[in-house]
Amino acid sequence: MKKKLKVLMIDDHPMIIEGYKNTLLGENQKDYQIKIDIASNCDDAYEKIVKSAETTPYDMLFVDIKLPPSSDGTITSGEDLAKHAKELLPKSKVIILTMHREDHRIHNILKNINPAGFLIKSDLTSSELLLAFNNIVKGKAYYSATVNDHFRKMMTNKFSLDEKNLKILYHLSRGVKTKNLPNYVSLSLSAIEKRKNQIKEMFSIAKADDQKLLEEARKRGFI
Amino acid sequence: MYKFLLTLNTLTFISTFIGCNDGNKTIDDKDLKSNIINSYIKNSKNSKNSFEDRIDNLEKAYNLNSTLDDSSIKVDKIHEISFAYYSLQDFDRYREMNEKALKLSKLMNDSLNIAESYTYLGLYYKTSQLDLAYKNFIEAEKIYSGLDYYKYVSKEEYAFERGKVLIDLALILRKIKNYSESESLTIKAIKSFNDSGNKLYLPLCYTNLGIIAKYTEFYEQAIEYHLKAIEYAKGTDTEILQTITSFNNIGTTFKSQKKYNKAKEYYNRALSYTKFLNENPGRRARLIDNLAYVNMLSKDYEDLPRLFFEALDIRKEITDRYGIATNHLHLAEYYKSIENYSISKLHALKAKELALELQKNEELLKTYKILSKVSSEKENLKYANSYISLNDSLIKEERLFRDKFARIRFETDEIVEENQQIARENEILIIAILGLTALFLLGYIIFRQQQSNKELIFAQTQQEANQEIYRLLLNQQIKLEEGRKLEQQRMSEELHDGVLGRLFGVRLSLDGINQRANDGFTEARNKYIDELKDIEQEIRLISHDLSSETLPSDVAYIDAVENLISDLCEVNNINFEFNNDEEIDWEGIDDQKKVNLFRILQESLQNIFKHAGAKSIKINFDYIEDKINLTILDDGIGFNSTKVKKGIGLKNITSRVSQMSGVVQFLSSKNSGTQVSVSVPV
Repeated sequence: MKKKLKVLMIDDHPMIIEGYKNTLLGENQKDYQIKIDIASNCDDAYEKIVKSAETTPYDMLFVDIKLPPSSDGTITSGEDLAKHAKELLPKSKVIILTMHREDHRIHNILKNINPAGFLIKSDLTSSELLLAFNNIVKGKAYYSATVNDHFRKMMTNKFSLDEKNLKILYHLSRGVKTKNLPNYVSLSLSAIEKRKNQIKEMFSIAKADDQKLLEEARKRGFI
Repeated sequence: MYKFLLTLNTLTFISTFIGCNDGNKTIDDKDLKSNIINSYIKNSKNSKNSFEDRIDNLEKAYNLNSTLDDSSIKVDKIHEISFAYYSLQDFDRYREMNEKALKLSKLMNDSLNIAESYTYLGLYYKTSQLDLAYKNFIEAEKIYSGLDYYKYVSKEEYAFERGKVLIDLALILRKIKNYSESESLTIKAIKSFNDSGNKLYLPLCYTNLGIIAKYTEFYEQAIEYHLKAIEYAKGTDTEILQTITSFNNIGTTFKSQKKYNKAKEYYNRALSYTKFLNENPGRRARLIDNLAYVNMLSKDYEDLPRLFFEALDIRKEITDRYGIATNHLHLAEYYKSIENYSISKLHALKAKELALELQKNEELLKTYKILSKVSSEKENLKYANSYISLNDSLIKEERLFRDKFARIRFETDEIVEENQQIARENEILIIAILGLTALFLLGYIIFRQQQSNKELIFAQTQQEANQEIYRLLLNQQIKLEEGRKLEQQRMSEELHDGVLGRLFGVRLSLDGINQRANDGFTEARNKYIDELKDIEQEIRLISHDLSSETLPSDVAYIDAVENLISDLCEVNNINFEFNNDEEIDWEGIDDQKKVNLFRILQESLQNIFKHAGAKSIKINFDYIEDKINLTILDDGIGFNSTKVKKGIGLKNITSRVSQMSGVVQFLSSKNSGTQVSVSVPV
């Protein structure tokens, strides 16, 4: 008797969903009978989540982070959608699949959603997706190598940087000048300067310039 | 006296010495010239020299004087020379000199000398042409009376000079029997002389007054005047001469009053100055003649006709022809009174002859009167007619004379009035011109003020325009940048979300299918799938690069600068290297400075392209100690920075730098390129 699984795949690219399907419906069909629902935008996905909550809840949700926002504007990304899903379908396993591999993004997603699976699309191969799927179905979390790497970096640091500090480092690394940072990070210029100095102290390079700071941050895996 | 002669001789010696050499030696020294002229004049006065020598000296004096610059001293010298001619009795030269002096004085507008020259010319004409004399004196008097003399000379000197002219005029007027005017002028002259404190001519004045009083039959007054004349002459050089003259005049006055004894008394008193009279036989003859005449009138025939003949003899001896004529007339009268008509007629005819010759009309008239009485019946009528016609013509002439004088006076008055009119007109003209000039100046100043205001406003607007241009340039750059940024963002997103997503989907599908297929090609396909993954990775990196290249706006200025450099260098085919110090906070620097630096760079590049013939250039913006240093280096032909005159380009750069209170340096030498260094405080 094949175990029945109800899966919702949320991605705005049909080609990607096609990929997922091609992977999952090949080998795994032997063990599981997978019913796949598709949603290509937030409205559609939310509707399906709500509907399933009333009837048969989904066992697994494949959530892309970048999605066309809902028409009322309340749900703007897969992240928001995942939060709702966790509330509406507490037993469902949420798997985040994203192109984004930036540390602060990863950090945020882990912190806000704590998904059962976290896969970085660019790392992903068919076999890895299968592995992840099988692990998660069995109740084990699965994270991509990149995400694990992020964990490792976090752990090796005696300290962690909060979201704002990471953002500051991220934008600095993009070449944004310190005085323009308030446009990107919702902090005042003096607060940003303070934080920068704190980071430098943490890196024990108190009097270094921005160039050195970025080098060190890169070395330590904050960027 | 000896000493004086010695000095004179020395002077003569010097003057002759210089005179011999002045052909080949120019005498420049004014004082020396003046001294030589003085010595010439002195020589001319030396009666030991021959007449020709003296005249010659005067010529030399005049010629040398002519070489002097025009001045009142020069005129004075001419006057002095003219006096010397006068004393040498060369009256024509005297007149010539004074005419020249007059011309020169008029040229220099020297009123005093003009008046003096007129006076001296008047003196020349006094004996020959009364009207001309009168005219000259009147001119002189006009000047004196109109002169604000305080400015020129001492009051005394002026009064004396004016007095002389007045008395000369009075004497002329007396001669034409215009007694009232002559009298008033004489009184004026006396007043003038009193003012001057110089009483030299007072006796002459009083004598004139006395004679006029006699003619106008105020005999008592006449005598008083003559006595006053004597009084004023007392203690002077002319005391004796004046006393004799005045006694003679008093005698004549008594004669006119028919107080013959009194008359005789004064004539005799005059005659008692025998020593003086022996030296002046003419005067003595006149006195004797007058005395004899009074004797005749008083019918005291005792000493007659001996006295008449005594006088006649003296006069004949000194050939005093006027005196002889008078003497013959008196003799004729005497013989007529003793009824010896034939001898009377003889003398009368002689008198007539001389009077005609000398044109002494009064004598002639008297002669005709006697002749008409002592001649035969037939001749009587003829002489009587002659008498009447002469008398008529004399009266007529007198009237004409007076008219003429009045006319001269009127004309000069008219000229003066005309001059005054012209002066008034000139004054108005000058005021008008001054007014216009002031108005014009005012207008010009206002015009200039406005002009400079305009210039100022223009400079200001130009500066504003410059800033505006820069702002536009910058905005353009920013917009361009923003557009580029947006486009990059869009491309980045498109790549990341669209292309990358689909590629991922395709890869995943392929991978999935590949897992299931078992045809022995799985490995080969896996290789391509990995390749696809690599492509994804690359696209992701490109996308990331695109989005992270979204530069902040302050890069816009440097972009504008780099665009300028690269555009110009490309057009001119020159390699360039541009470095901008990241430390410079361009957004914090005010626009004016940025515009100036931009323009300096532009100007320098133009210079390099136009003149340097460089192959490559290097431009640096450095930030050192709160200063922005712009360095523009080329490898062109260079120039000698110490010698080359600054062109407009370099001047513009210098002025822009000084506007920013910075420093600029042009370093160059032949064939070693040029370095322009600008340092501007932030």
